Amino acid sequence: MIYMSEVSKVYSNGSVALADVTVDIHKGDFVFVVGPSGAGKSTFIKLILREELPTSGRIVVNGKNVIDMQPGEVPYLRRTLGMVFQDYRLLPNKTVYDNVAFAMQVIEAPRREIQKRVHNVLELVGLRHKLRTYPSELSGGEQQRVAIARAIVNNPVIVIADEPTGNLDPETSWEIMKVFDTINKAGTTIIMATHDKTVVDAMRKRVIAIEKGRIARDQVKGVYGYED
Amino acid sequence: MKIRTFEYFLREAVTSLKRNGLMSIASVSTVALSLLILGIFLVMVLNLNHIASTLETQVQITVYMEDGLSDRDMREIGTRITKMTGVTEVMFVDKEEAMAKFKERLGEQKGLLTALGETNPLPNSFEVKVDKPEYVKTVSQTISQLKGVENAKYGQEVIEQLFALTKMIRIFGLLLIIFLGLAALFIISNTIRITVFARRKEIGIMKYVGATDWFIRFPFMIEGMILGFVGALCAVLILSQTYSTLTDKVYESLAFLPLIPKNPFLTNISMILLIVGTAIGALGSTISLKRFMKV
Repeated sequence: MIYMSEVSKVYSNGSVALADVTVDIHKGDFVFVVGPSGAGKSTFIKLILREELPTSGRIVVNGKNVIDMQPGEVPYLRRTLGMVFQDYRLLPNKTVYDNVAFAMQVIEAPRREIQKRVHNVLELVGLRHKLRTYPSELSGGEQQRVAIARAIVNNPVIVIADEPTGNLDPETSWEIMKVFDTINKAGTTIIMATHDKTVVDAMRKRVIAIEKGRIARDQVKGVYGYED
Repeated sequence: MKIRTFEYFLREAVTSLKRNGLMSIASVSTVALSLLILGIFLVMVLNLNHIASTLETQVQITVYMEDGLSDRDMREIGTRITKMTGVTEVMFVDKEEAMAKFKERLGEQKGLLTALGETNPLPNSFEVKVDKPEYVKTVSQTISQLKGVENAKYGQEVIEQLFALTKMIRIFGLLLIIFLGLAALFIISNTIRITVFARRKEIGIMKYVGATDWFIRFPFMIEGMILGFVGALCAVLILSQTYSTLTDKVYESLAFLPLIPKNPFLTNISMILLIVGTAIGALGSTISLKRFMKV
């Protein structure tokens, strides 16, 4: 699904974000990416999304060599990846329904399919009853559910979440993790960068720890491994 | 492109135009002003050219004879002129005829001529027409060298001055148009930049969910093109109104002035302005998108 081989990323200011990273993530995996702030987690995600190109190494995402990819192909790569952010990034002037539908509209999906899919994913995240609500009227957890619905509405093969529970209380975080688990069980690969010790330790999924740009640890059924 | 997508683009563009109300108005006005001036210069230059070339084709050479030539000498000169290349018509005007014409032209003021008494100061002359304007100069030079010819005149000075004037207006107009065009470009790209900025969050999401570059850019392009088109439309309306009124007035009072008839002239000018306006709009947004939106 995602394959990185000896990947290094040095930014133009000379700072080394990643050094010699080799990982293999399979279909259906649930992977936590942990590590101190500034260790390279964000760069790791940006490389998968092809927001950044590595300085050296090889990256294959969903069978596509990301490095040789033409700029015009990038949108089609991203359609196979769903993104969830810490700050939700919902459009405040659109309703819950429209926020989710937006992701399908901009890739020109047929209208009837949009209606069907949006209702389905909102059902899945438990917000079927809030279709006509605006984000500002929702709680943080609900907003993140909308964001998750938007991330999965185009049927991505991989969902990438960057600190999805960073702004949520433990109870709500747990609710959100249950949603991710459901999605994962349906066969979607999940890669989640997080600082949430409780969540990582309770889920017992694969943990990749990045420290100073290198992979310090890659455990099946791992734990967070850092003090908060 | 699917119709639904186009609807989406149009809706986005219109929403954004409304949101940027004041900037949109400023953009439209700048484009309108620039194109109005462009239009005025176009109309002026084209008309002056038209007038100059009309006059040129109507040019005839007037050949004045020396006094006291015999009829035979004069006939001889007439035949020689007729044989010159390019000459299509040679008409003899004797001094009495010339006087009669002159009286006619003076109209009610012909009383002035009574002072001359019986003397007729006007010379015998030939009126010579050529088939191409280029011949005028050489033919008149050759004629003036003939024996018995006082001189040969044509309206060359006036025409040359007219062409010089058009040239000056053209250069001045071009500079002004370039300057105003850049101003229009700048203000449109600024308007679009504001739009891009207002919607950076939306653009970010579009990028993450895999919208193609052109899909993201298109609403902004349309917005720019609408601004340019509406501006051009304002310019076109003002210009056509003014030109129609002007030509009507001129035909009434100065009928000899050969202005270009408004049809299809105005339609062509309008098309040019509308195309230029829309192009400025598209270019303005392209500049802005290149600079402010790394897609």
